[in-house]
Amino acid sequence: MKPNELLRLVWINITQNKFKTVLTSIGIIVGAATIVMVIAIGKGGQADVAEQFKNLNAGAIDISYDGGDRERGGQSAEASPGGGNFSGGEGGFSGGRGRSPDEAGGGVLNGDSFPGGRMDFFGGGSDMEERINQENITLDEDDVDDIETFVSGISAATISYSTRSSVEGGELDEAQTYTIAGVREEYAQMSNLSLAVGEFIAESEDENKDKVCVLGASVAEEIFGSAIDAYGSVIYIDSRSYVVNGVLSSMGTVASGISPDDSIFIPYATGVKYLVGSSVSPTITVIAEDVDNVEQVSKDVAKVLAQTYPNAEFTYEDAGSKMEAASASNEILTMLLIAMAAIVFVVGGIGIMNVLFVSVKERTNEIGILKAIGCSRKNILFEFLLEAAAISLIGGILGVAASLCAAPVVEYLGVRVELSAAAFLIALLFAVITGTIFGFYPAYKASRLVPVEALGAE
Amino acid sequence: METVEREERDGIITLRDVNKSYKMGENVLHVLKDISLTVKKGEYLAVLGPSGSGKSTLMNIIGCMDVMDSGAYCLDGVEIEKAKEKELTGIRNQKIGFIFQKYHLIGTYNVLQNIVMPLLMRGMTLKEAREASMDTITMLGLAERMEHKPNELSGGQQQRVAIARALVGQPAILLADEPTGALDQESGKEVLKLFDRLNDMGNTIVMITHDLGVARHAGRVVRIVDGKLYENGVTVQPDAAG
Repeated sequence: MKPNELLRLVWINITQNKFKTVLTSIGIIVGAATIVMVIAIGKGGQADVAEQFKNLNAGAIDISYDGGDRERGGQSAEASPGGGNFSGGEGGFSGGRGRSPDEAGGGVLNGDSFPGGRMDFFGGGSDMEERINQENITLDEDDVDDIETFVSGISAATISYSTRSSVEGGELDEAQTYTIAGVREEYAQMSNLSLAVGEFIAESEDENKDKVCVLGASVAEEIFGSAIDAYGSVIYIDSRSYVVNGVLSSMGTVASGISPDDSIFIPYATGVKYLVGSSVSPTITVIAEDVDNVEQVSKDVAKVLAQTYPNAEFTYEDAGSKMEAASASNEILTMLLIAMAAIVFVVGGIGIMNVLFVSVKERTNEIGILKAIGCSRKNILFEFLLEAAAISLIGGILGVAASLCAAPVVEYLGVRVELSAAAFLIALLFAVITGTIFGFYPAYKASRLVPVEALGAE
Repeated sequence: METVEREERDGIITLRDVNKSYKMGENVLHVLKDISLTVKKGEYLAVLGPSGSGKSTLMNIIGCMDVMDSGAYCLDGVEIEKAKEKELTGIRNQKIGFIFQKYHLIGTYNVLQNIVMPLLMRGMTLKEAREASMDTITMLGLAERMEHKPNELSGGQQQRVAIARALVGQPAILLADEPTGALDQESGKEVLKLFDRLNDMGNTIVMITHDLGVARHAGRVVRIVDGKLYENGVTVQPDAAG
């Protein structure tokens, strides 16, 4: 029999039993919809990761200090020697940091090298190990300078922190709490921030501790309605007035750290003076010139910091590791969803097999007639196989349609989905393959029926 | 002996000592016992017998729908006992036209699709098959009913569709199993008249029936009783056939 005539017969059989066809393919509909959603959610996750990291330089290394107990033993952060770094304004540790590159390279790690009071905690000897991260340390601009001076292979370094503070002004009816980021001039370039209007924090504003700010896109919209309205206006952070010098372009979500859209940027020193004081817990960010050299740069930075803080262990996070971790968790989620889709397909396939068995039973007489008039085993096998494949294809198409309906619902629930033509094709392919595999045995059974017995069946 | 050889040579159907039995649990039911029969080209033969006599089994074997246990069967020059399943499929498609008591039309296909089915299986397209079967369709008065489904037709019309399906492939023989069994008297008469016409046109017809009145339409009647074939009251032997 010609393939197109066989297809015509298959089409007739399917269209004669539309409701049965749809019921038969329910498993495949669910399976196809699941596989489209799995791919869409997986791609959405990947896009999320990519978007979150798009502003993150792959060579970026964040260095922070998690140790110490700023409140422990009645010694508040403000009272700690480290905290003194900021209490005096611009002075700080300058006296204790008279290190030369030679000293840094020479491994000078005794307390005498650091007369700035930090070594008050250091007991020396074996006690030192027990005291790791027991002291209160505050990274500061001098540490950044040390890193820039003594570590090779870095293109930029900066220091920043973030805190939460109440903000008033603009169209706000009452004070709202926002993230306030204390940053330096170079932060914008290092974080790939772009301005919709105005200027970013200038070095002179940091030095003068000017009360100026740059608003994230979302913040500007919330407080003033638009970037233009915000520019040049005044907001009140912790009841102190700040002039809005600029508004950032929308940057989207970020994986970690400061989310630019939802933050207000102020000069680093201004924030230290008026907002966070000595309780600040800043992060130093270093950009490795070569992405492949991130590990070595981290080690070199650790060596430099170890000279200043011999009892401290800092946390190093590089952007690549963050990306890998985020991608890995996304891949695990995708694998789980794929496993779920596979199970659904198997269940759907078994459903098709059952219905086809029933169909073969119901149509035994018809098979007998076909055999009596000379239909070959091959033609009967192909007819039933094509029916299974066609039912599955219809199920696949309905499944894809169902996924198009489900996608907005899933997105509404907060899961990002990225529908793609490739996902549709894969779902259809899997549907047809599943139907064909599970349809083979019933089709084979049909083809092997003895004509006289099949014809005699009622 | 010469007579036997000549008859076998002339016969379009030649059965020699055909036996067929079925296992019914522990028992063996011997349905056909040493059946020998020769049907000549253009002959109209009726196999008359009561229910359970083995006439349907004989038809299934003649129609290559079932296999015999022993004996020899030659259909239009083909030794059926040596044929494989694939060859038997081809023989059913090209040499035999089946007409069943219950019509056995496929309910999901329309009249045209049912009729042209044997031609489609030969590799024709629907258009080619339609053209090739138009004469038969017109002859059987079905030209106006081609788009109808079987359940939209009367019993007589359905049987005419079945006859058309059997005829379109221009088979060597027409095998009819109780063709009027499910029809009212009037429709039955029409079908029998049609058979007469088809035989006059040169078609070889083997008709199975339990009705003597129907069997009388045939040019030759053989009886089957208890699995044995008789002609004129005598067990049919190869040298007595014809």
